[in-house]
Amino acid sequence: MAISAEYLALLRIGIGSSPEWKEAWERINDYLDALKTPDTVDRELILLSSFERAIARKRRQPSIPATELAFEEAQKTLDFALGHLIDEGVSEDRRSVEQRVRLYLTENVDGNFLGRPDEMSEDVRHALREVRLQAAPNLQVASITARPLEFSSPGKWLISLAEKLSPFGANRIVGWLFGLAILGLLVFASLYRL
Amino acid sequence: MNGNHRSGKLVELIGAETVKEAFHKKVGQRRWGVALVTLGISLLGLWLMIDIVGARGWTPLEVLEVGLFAILFANLAFGFTQAFLGFLVLAEGHEPLKITNTLDESTPLASTAIVMPVYNEDAETVFGNVQALYQSLQQRHELDLYDFYILSDSTDPAKAVEEELAWSDICRQTNGFGKIHYRRRKLPVNRKSGNIADFCRRWGYRHRYMVVLDADSLMTGAAVSTLVRLMETNSRAGIIQTMPRLVKTETLFGRIQQFASRVYSPIFAAGLNFWQQGAGNYWGHNAIIRVSPFLASCALPGLPGNEPLGGRILSHDFVEAALMGNAGWEVWFAYDLEGSYEGLPPNLTEYVKRDRRWCQGNLQHFWFLLAQNVRAISRIHLIQGILAYASAPLLVLFVLFGGLQAGIDRLQQPGGTLATASAGVLLLMTLILLFGPKVLSLLHLFARPKEIALFGGPVRVLLSALLETLFSILTAPVLVWFHTRFVLRNIGGQTVSWHTQTRDGGAAPRWTEIVREYWPLPIAGVGIGVLAWWISPVYLAWLSPMLIGLLLAIPVAKLSARTDLFRRLFLTPEEIQPPQELSARFKLQLRDGDQFVHAVLDPFYNAIHVALQRSRDGGSLAVDGYVASLATRLFKEGPESLSSQEKRALLADGETLASLHHLIWKTPSQMMNPAWAMALAQYRSSFRRARPKPKASEETFRKSQPAVT
Repeated sequence: MAISAEYLALLRIGIGSSPEWKEAWERINDYLDALKTPDTVDRELILLSSFERAIARKRRQPSIPATELAFEEAQKTLDFALGHLIDEGVSEDRRSVEQRVRLYLTENVDGNFLGRPDEMSEDVRHALREVRLQAAPNLQVASITARPLEFSSPGKWLISLAEKLSPFGANRIVGWLFGLAILGLLVFASLYRL
Repeated sequence: MNGNHRSGKLVELIGAETVKEAFHKKVGQRRWGVALVTLGISLLGLWLMIDIVGARGWTPLEVLEVGLFAILFANLAFGFTQAFLGFLVLAEGHEPLKITNTLDESTPLASTAIVMPVYNEDAETVFGNVQALYQSLQQRHELDLYDFYILSDSTDPAKAVEEELAWSDICRQTNGFGKIHYRRRKLPVNRKSGNIADFCRRWGYRHRYMVVLDADSLMTGAAVSTLVRLMETNSRAGIIQTMPRLVKTETLFGRIQQFASRVYSPIFAAGLNFWQQGAGNYWGHNAIIRVSPFLASCALPGLPGNEPLGGRILSHDFVEAALMGNAGWEVWFAYDLEGSYEGLPPNLTEYVKRDRRWCQGNLQHFWFLLAQNVRAISRIHLIQGILAYASAPLLVLFVLFGGLQAGIDRLQQPGGTLATASAGVLLLMTLILLFGPKVLSLLHLFARPKEIALFGGPVRVLLSALLETLFSILTAPVLVWFHTRFVLRNIGGQTVSWHTQTRDGGAAPRWTEIVREYWPLPIAGVGIGVLAWWISPVYLAWLSPMLIGLLLAIPVAKLSARTDLFRRLFLTPEEIQPPQELSARFKLQLRDGDQFVHAVLDPFYNAIHVALQRSRDGGSLAVDGYVASLATRLFKEGPESLSSQEKRALLADGETLASLHHLIWKTPSQMMNPAWAMALAQYRSSFRRARPKPKASEETFRKSQPAVT
């Protein structure tokens, strides 16, 4: 059957005639671009079906911005298209993340597989369902405990001496004065060959 | 090396006599030889100095001057002795006592972790180096027993996102999921050493060895596998350190250092191995470590007092080598192992900035000189590390005391001269100690015509060596100045701050930044010059190399960052014929701008980041509330409204970041903060293209309708 120009044109006109829907259209297109969704019929289907439902919702919920409705409906369509790749145990708020991870992992595999479940082998589908983005392996905990330093007797004596002298170093001005005083004494002693 | 545990291979190499005794005797002879030669040169220098200074009787300034001279001259003599012995070893062409002699290519490999601690580094460099080694091992069909760990302590939120993306990108490119691991600590406790310790606690038991790399380190698969085989063959080896070659530099400073290291290091390295043998040192990277003794013996103790000289140990490597040695394990130096590389700071300013950190770390090691149960040879390594920085203030004091005494002499005996026969001999001797190793290195190189061709030929090598010597003379006073400043500040209880911002690789510092850091140097040069002239023109001439360096510090610092000077000189084999691993490039597909913003906006960045975060189930309500308030503020007030710390807190909560991603994408531009609207517009414009015409038919469209309401 040839494309139903009437239906699609109506939808297009409806979107193009309103600045609000036009912005929504651009936004969702950009989002699909960001997901590296190729220019295929699948992408078109995602867009049109999402916008059809969003327009219907807008009639019922006129206060909600078109962009929000369109994005939510597009997300539902993506859920539908990619849901078969996500394990059922994945929580609701992580599903979108897991979908995007799978799109990312297969980004260079002939575009990506959005909306083409029939073309995917069972092995690939299974692998994608099982995949978890895990950056580090499981722990095998070991202990690493430091032994304290034990100082020799001269060492202990030097430490106590350093503690006594530390006030001279802690204050910059006192430190400089102390240093200059020693230098002055040395010069004096050398000048008069004491 | 303990004779009871020496490998059969090495046993064959050193003869049939009682192995333990023979080895210890030989090593003992070598160490005595080094000590006696060093002592002889030092005593000769000291005798000449006493002859010069003590001619007219002694003053307190002169006594101290000679005391300082003894320390500095002995240090110089020790370096020269090592270089001279190294030259002889290389000239002979055969060193029976080196760890690489024990290599048996048929030795099976063992499970090894390649660990790379990183801290706010350039992700492309880090992951590029990882990828190069990964592919190198893959080509050798030896990848199975290796695991890669990128251990991040990055505190910059944008860097953290960049690293995550780089990790996922490299894993995707190489199919390295499950082989290349990435972990970022939320708090960089104990910095690099804490990072390695954290790795050991978490995954130490998984691997027999770990190869530690720096963020700018690169090793070939052949080098890494050789290290593993050497460890397997030498069962008492706890650490094997390689000699990394400096590579991949583009600036004048970097290329000069690269050339100098490539030409002069071999004889020093051979000399170092000559006397230290199994009691070597560890430099913190490009080395292999046996994990179990490291876990058992190398945890770093706390130091008395607070930072900068006390508290947590900053420079862990020398200490870990000492602790490994104390526990009875050997630390070897595979100085002749090919395929180990590292980068270096691109200009003088960045180099000095790195020294600031290393200075503080090395000075902390003096505590170990006061500790019990540290082997004498480890103490020598620690003293050498301390003197690498402490010698600068000692040299300043030496010059100061000498200058003051010369001033006093000028007042008391106008027209007196410093020049004596002994002074001439001592000057000649000092020049030999300073420049002799360079000459020996060049002799070694010129004896190998094939090798010298890889440096651009003999003429270029000579010209490069001359210019390098000039450059090192000019920069030496600058380094002495900054090292002195760092040491004095650290002793005074202060860490040293640096005004200029940290920059990536090749970016050159601006004039204003250089002047802000270097302005005291030319002023000091003029002041010292005037005083020296007043004392005597001969004294001025004596100090002139130092004064020229101080006067030209600012232009030299600026020139050091240039990338267009002397491109046909300072060539190295790695530059002319880079090995495959050095040529490999990892290109990260990063978006321009703030990566934190992209972690919110980009669907893939956001997904990767969120997927790597732990679920917040079971988290406290207070934390949830705090993170929610941050997200609200971020959304309402824009990306600049959060501090770096707040951004980190938000990044740690995956769910909130995922919600924020949806919230921004579904909010009309006019209803969101203008900063977000602009960020989103910029982001979208980066990939926007012409919209397609509808292709779907009504039928396919109807069939595709999901059962959603």
